[in-house]
Amino acid sequence: MADPKMRFLVVDDFSTMRRIVKNLLKELGYSNVDEAEDGVQALAKLRSEQFDFVVSDWNMPNMDGLTMLQNIRADPALAKLPVLMVTAEAKKENIIAAAQAGANGYVVKPFTAATLDEKLNKIFEKMEKAA
Amino acid sequence: MTEHTADSTSPDEVLSRIGHMTRALHENLRGLGLDKLIEKAASDIPDARDRLDYVARLSEGAAKRVLDATDTAGPLQDGIDARAADLTRSWQALLAAPARADGADAEWRALAERTMAGLAESRDAANATKGHLMDIMMAQDFQDLTGQVIKRITGIAQNLEKQLVQVLVDFAPSEIKRELDNGLLNGPQINPEGQSDVVADQGQVDDLLDSLGF
Repeated sequence: MADPKMRFLVVDDFSTMRRIVKNLLKELGYSNVDEAEDGVQALAKLRSEQFDFVVSDWNMPNMDGLTMLQNIRADPALAKLPVLMVTAEAKKENIIAAAQAGANGYVVKPFTAATLDEKLNKIFEKMEKAA
Repeated sequence: MTEHTADSTSPDEVLSRIGHMTRALHENLRGLGLDKLIEKAASDIPDARDRLDYVARLSEGAAKRVLDATDTAGPLQDGIDARAADLTRSWQALLAAPARADGADAEWRALAERTMAGLAESRDAANATKGHLMDIMMAQDFQDLTGQVIKRITGIAQNLEKQLVQVLVDFAPSEIKRELDNGLLNGPQINPEGQSDVVADQGQVDDLLDSLGF
């Protein structure tokens, strides 16, 4: 398991889903979690505070998850931040677009606690290898 | 062959023909009394949208109540587990002392063993309940998914309504048109979630009429 003090940002326009992801992360040992309602709010938080990991929905008002991801990768200060997409968008072209934009993982809703755990660990492993 | 035909037909001619077809369609619709049906369909859509909004709102409220309850119940189960673990350790410490040779403490030792077994069961049940609470919490993700579907259908209904009302605005007799035009001043751009039996500004109406050759 990675550092339990790791700071997460959960981005989703549905408060129910934000709470669920937050609770799951807590259950997995990560209790340092903040929330954002859309890509615009998330980018503002990412640029003003320190975060270690982003879990984001795709379909959101104001700015969707893919655009937010592209903004993160284009910003030298944020470019290396791991981003896990958790979304109901299940088309192949969505998954390819997210991968091309630099997503570190892709989870399709509805998902289980085990799936989230597995994808997070996979990303942590890759990050450790890269470090 | 086909290319030659396409080249020899000017865009104006195409538009004019579509315009005539549209007008003919409109006259046929009116002849059949279908304009009333369209009007009814358009006026039913806001009601359908309201009902969908109601479903979305109630589902969200229910999911929130469930999450509030699971958020409260989780720590209660943690508390039961922690207190049972603490009591078990205390009993274990007491039992660690050698038993009396005369057997005078046999009765409370037996009770202590039974208490510890009961505490172990409590801990198992508390942890199993935590697992069920997680399942209940996860099941609330339906609200996100059904919510997205409802949003989408609401959007489709709104578009359909716009198009139907546009048909009515474009082809209504002039006195009804004036009525409808007045409504457009409070159009959906200001409050798209609210009334949208009112659709577009005059510019859009004019553009559409122009494009149809009227």
